[in-house]
Amino acid sequence: MKASRRIPPSAFEEDLAAFFRARENSDARHQAAFERFAETGFPNRRVEGWKWSDFAGALRSAAANTDSAAHDVIASSPFAALNPLEFLIIDGVPQKPAAVIDGLEYGIVDPMATIPDLESHAIVNLNVAMTERAVGLTLRDGVLLDRPILIRHIQTKPQPAFAKVLMRICDGASATLIETFEGIGAGFASLLAHVDLREDAQLQRYVVDQSDNAGVSHSMFAVKIDKDASFRQTSLSTGGRLVRHETLAHFCGDGATAHIDSVALLGGERHADFTTHVLHKAPGCKIRQLHKGVARDRGRAVFQGKFEVERDAQKTDAKMTANALLLTDGAEANHKPELEIYADDVECAHGSTVGALDDDALFYLRQRGLSEHQARALLIEAFAGEVIDAIEDDQLRSLFAGRVAAWLEEQQ
Amino acid sequence: MLKIDDLHVAVGGNEILKGLSLEVPAGEVHAIMGPNGSGKSTLSYTVAGRDGYAATTGAVTLEGEDILGLGPDERAAKGLFLSFQHPMEIPGVQTMNFIRTAMNAQRKAREQEEISAADFIRLVREKAKLVGLDDAKLKRPFNVGFSGGEKKRMEMLQLAMFEPRFAIMDETDSGLDIDALKMVGEVVNALRGPARGFLVITHYQRLLEYIKPDRVHVLAGGRIVKSGGPNLAADLEKSGYEQFIEAA
Repeated sequence: MKASRRIPPSAFEEDLAAFFRARENSDARHQAAFERFAETGFPNRRVEGWKWSDFAGALRSAAANTDSAAHDVIASSPFAALNPLEFLIIDGVPQKPAAVIDGLEYGIVDPMATIPDLESHAIVNLNVAMTERAVGLTLRDGVLLDRPILIRHIQTKPQPAFAKVLMRICDGASATLIETFEGIGAGFASLLAHVDLREDAQLQRYVVDQSDNAGVSHSMFAVKIDKDASFRQTSLSTGGRLVRHETLAHFCGDGATAHIDSVALLGGERHADFTTHVLHKAPGCKIRQLHKGVARDRGRAVFQGKFEVERDAQKTDAKMTANALLLTDGAEANHKPELEIYADDVECAHGSTVGALDDDALFYLRQRGLSEHQARALLIEAFAGEVIDAIEDDQLRSLFAGRVAAWLEEQQ
Repeated sequence: MLKIDDLHVAVGGNEILKGLSLEVPAGEVHAIMGPNGSGKSTLSYTVAGRDGYAATTGAVTLEGEDILGLGPDERAAKGLFLSFQHPMEIPGVQTMNFIRTAMNAQRKAREQEEISAADFIRLVREKAKLVGLDDAKLKRPFNVGFSGGEKKRMEMLQLAMFEPRFAIMDETDSGLDIDALKMVGEVVNALRGPARGFLVITHYQRLLEYIKPDRVHVLAGGRIVKSGGPNLAADLEKSGYEQFIEAA
């Protein structure tokens, strides 16, 4: 993503620079990160990997006003039913949680510098420059957490917000992490998460993105997966003005597995981009990835998936599937599956389809008495269901299915 | 009961039905036989209201009510059922959930009460037994991995559950063995009654040995070219459709 500056900084970028300069707590790593960001600015559509998601364009006239008026009372999350350990990150500011759980250390910590692989990522650089505090979580060896961790990223103001999460799941430990993105107004929000999944550890991550129609946001979830560890991620986004969720997974030890699934449901002018990069550094690891994008009106579903298999990562078993369903003429789906393989004894495959609802099936369902809306909703639910139905936990599965049903209801 | 009058239908710019007229009174079973390409499936799609199968002229009424302006679901709610020639697999759609949703959608449109979960389960089990589908099949996504015969049994299951006022059976016999044909005969014969009508579309006489029609019509070239009693089917088996193709 190295690109020299072709266009002068936008008003938003200049405001961010002024804000950064005026800040008192910046140290050398903040400074270095900001300089790297300032060299390129926000990625525009001419930058490799960003041609379908133009952050520079979307943020050209964003507001960088950073006053900190009090926010309204935050409504409770539907995931509260799961009795989670709840963290609120409001407008980028982590709030201290009250509860105490054995085996889990957590608190508001000093963020570390970015990992080397992300030094050329403009928005990650900006996040590193701008965050002073992070949510830190360490799950000790062998602890099987029986309550999920819920992190709610809540945007209450149309101002830029930068948040960071650092997480370590030690050997043999297991946790469920739910993250929700809840937004109002036309803000810019950025999340950077670094996760270390140690030997034989397990992490299930569930993401529900309910950004505002006008919201622009980016998240980078970078996870290192060690020997025999397992990572499972299911994301559901109803998009925003421009929303991108990136996952960077490094397989660092033998025999690890990952499932990375995503659903995008996009109406109006909403845009969601799921971009993933899975790097196989160790042998015998397995990845399954399934993306389902549904778009109508002028909605746009972007999927970019890359599997990179290093020379030593023999016996890699990797499969990527992306399916898009376009419900109206103006809707769009962009898929870019990529395999980059340097090992010779691997099984890697990818498939990509884009289509409309099946007319035969629609007629069949209507002949049985379903209204057009019911028939379409049933088929869309079935399409997304391939991801949703794979969620093992009954309560979580029904909360996700409920989100899909609510979206379908809104489209009526 | 079902009355079709001078029906003309063009599909993709080609006129397929060219002035088809037919009346099936309540309580009767009529068979339509005809060669490939004569317009049999176009007739069933048009009566059921499929997009792209609109009448250019003519009328179709069900118990005196014009149905051509209605959507397929509205026609279903009025009691019109089509047993599909090629029932499709619908991955991800749970069979029981779909049939119950369909049943309740029809009931709601007729201002009837919804069927309770318990009554539904009882009914679907009873009818599944009747058509020879085991419970495991009902728990699968709709028709996924079913054989051709099993898909037809699933059509008969829905016919038995919905108890429509008028059923069109589009080549239900194709791909069925003798046992399955007998089952189809049993389901239809059990539903036959003074307030119900059937239109059985078929290539062959075979099915009509199990479902005795009151009248048999020959469809060729988009029109009914001959009508007669039940014996017409046997005559056709001997003489073939050649004469009608030439006539049409």
